[in-house]
Amino acid sequence: MKVKSGYIREYSVISAALGLLILLNLILGSVIIPPGEIFASLAGKSDLSFVNEILWDFRIPKAITALLAGVALSVCGLQMQTLFKNPLADPFILGISSGAGLGVALFVMGFSAFGISLTGSFALNLGVAASAWAGAFGVTLLILLVSSRLRDNTSLLIFGIMLGSVASALITLLQYFSSSSALKAFVVWTMGSFSGLTSAQIWIMSMLIVPGLILSVYNIKELNILLQGEAYAKSLGVNLEHTRRRILVATTLLAGSVTAFCGPIGFIGIAVPHIARMFFKNADHRVLIPATALLGAAIMVFTDTVAQLPGQSGVIPINTVSALIGVPIILIIILKSKFI
Amino acid sequence: MERVLETNNLCLGYNKDIYREISAFASRGEIIAVVGPNGIGKSTLLKSLSGIQSFRSGEILVDGKQISSYSHSRLAEKISFVPSQSPRARNLSLFDMVATGCYNRTNWLGQVGPQEREFVIGTLERVGLSGFENRDSSRLSDGEFQRATIARALVQESKIIFLDEPTAFLDIENKLTITKLLSDIAHEESRSVIFSTHDLQLAIRHCDRIWIMGRESFSHGTPEELIEKGAFDTMFKDSPLKFDRNLYTFV
Repeated sequence: MKVKSGYIREYSVISAALGLLILLNLILGSVIIPPGEIFASLAGKSDLSFVNEILWDFRIPKAITALLAGVALSVCGLQMQTLFKNPLADPFILGISSGAGLGVALFVMGFSAFGISLTGSFALNLGVAASAWAGAFGVTLLILLVSSRLRDNTSLLIFGIMLGSVASALITLLQYFSSSSALKAFVVWTMGSFSGLTSAQIWIMSMLIVPGLILSVYNIKELNILLQGEAYAKSLGVNLEHTRRRILVATTLLAGSVTAFCGPIGFIGIAVPHIARMFFKNADHRVLIPATALLGAAIMVFTDTVAQLPGQSGVIPINTVSALIGVPIILIIILKSKFI
Repeated sequence: MERVLETNNLCLGYNKDIYREISAFASRGEIIAVVGPNGIGKSTLLKSLSGIQSFRSGEILVDGKQISSYSHSRLAEKISFVPSQSPRARNLSLFDMVATGCYNRTNWLGQVGPQEREFVIGTLERVGLSGFENRDSSRLSDGEFQRATIARALVQESKIIFLDEPTAFLDIENKLTITKLLSDIAHEESRSVIFSTHDLQLAIRHCDRIWIMGRESFSHGTPEELIEKGAFDTMFKDSPLKFDRNLYTFV
């Protein structure tokens, strides 16, 4: 897509930072791999089989997952903030993560309630992803069905939040009656993780996210109009119902897929669009969509790198790190620029 | 004169009638003020006439055809609407804000071609905002921002422009500037401008005709006719306010 001239410098700075962060992400972990080895392995010239194995089987898939998740959640958050004219809106504001959570809870704890124990991590992972996606999609479907009866985006927002609350209540109910091992499996899912995805799963995830991103780019024109109010949008001949639907579908493809494979990852979706606005000082989505995508990728890869810092003693849950990074950023934005 | 807009027995409302029996018309190139007490339904009338809101019964004819027969985009070519308080988007340049008025003529990304660019710049000049293109639209003064919203509507190139209280919250000087601008637009570009206002004096001095949404009934006509008929007194029926024919205001 065409990038507005005048922002070449900003885009290159972020892209360079993203490159460095990815490199750092590949270097750090339980074993530190020097950059020289990484480049050798990438070029296919490394003889160290353990380096090849760690890099290609673990770190590269994880970095790709983090990158995809960062792009998807940030672009999704931006659209939610514009659609609802609410700076606190995030990808999950319409209850998509609660829906996904309900799907996973039903899957994980439902099986344990019937006395069936799930063995085999692949089946478990894929089952979790599928049920999370089904939950997220179910919520969106319900919202889409109701959305034509709702008069404005505020009603839509309230409906989404209520739906999310119902899903959360049902999750609590399931938790109360579930076994401790199933409960643990569910709680671990809610902490978020980028590791353990097979290449097949990464393919599925990107097949869902890429169309979501294409749809988001296609939404740019209407998003720019929505900035100026719904009444104006209507008078311009914008079909608000179609626009809302397109944004909702993009949201499910983006946030729903990330949640399905990585768990509900918070804060990035709220914080990144604000960072992009602060950095680019432009409300035009033709600038903001590529900007949030790049920044989202960089920040998510950074988050994952921080999560790896304990080295051999383990990994910090992604949601812990994203909260620790995201919350200060949000606070700084509020204090510095009186954004909200 | 050519009637670009006509209503017959229009009843406003969503679940129940808010206002009944509006039969009025607007001709090409005239400026019309809609006056009436707070809450009588002036906004609802303007929104219904511009197709943003549905109405209960009766008919609205745009260029002789039922408003419902137009598609979203076809109607946008005929009618533009300036809401009473448009939200201000931070860091949206004035040019980008006004250029959104070209919505139906731009590509899928909303980019304006060189011709449209000229047109937007020219329109900004028309409303007295030349040289402001790159300013942050959210930091304009109230008067400047109101002129920007008018420019946005002009760029839409519609024959009919509705404005919901364009002069509310403005000082007396800006009120006059905006009203004069609107009357120039109507007379020089032969567009029909219809706006709601509480400023009777300005409406009587600058408008070709006035629609009065009175407490009991709807009436319309030229300011002189309405003053002759004593129609302004129907506005605040059963209230101690009386219309003063010399001051053009209620005392």
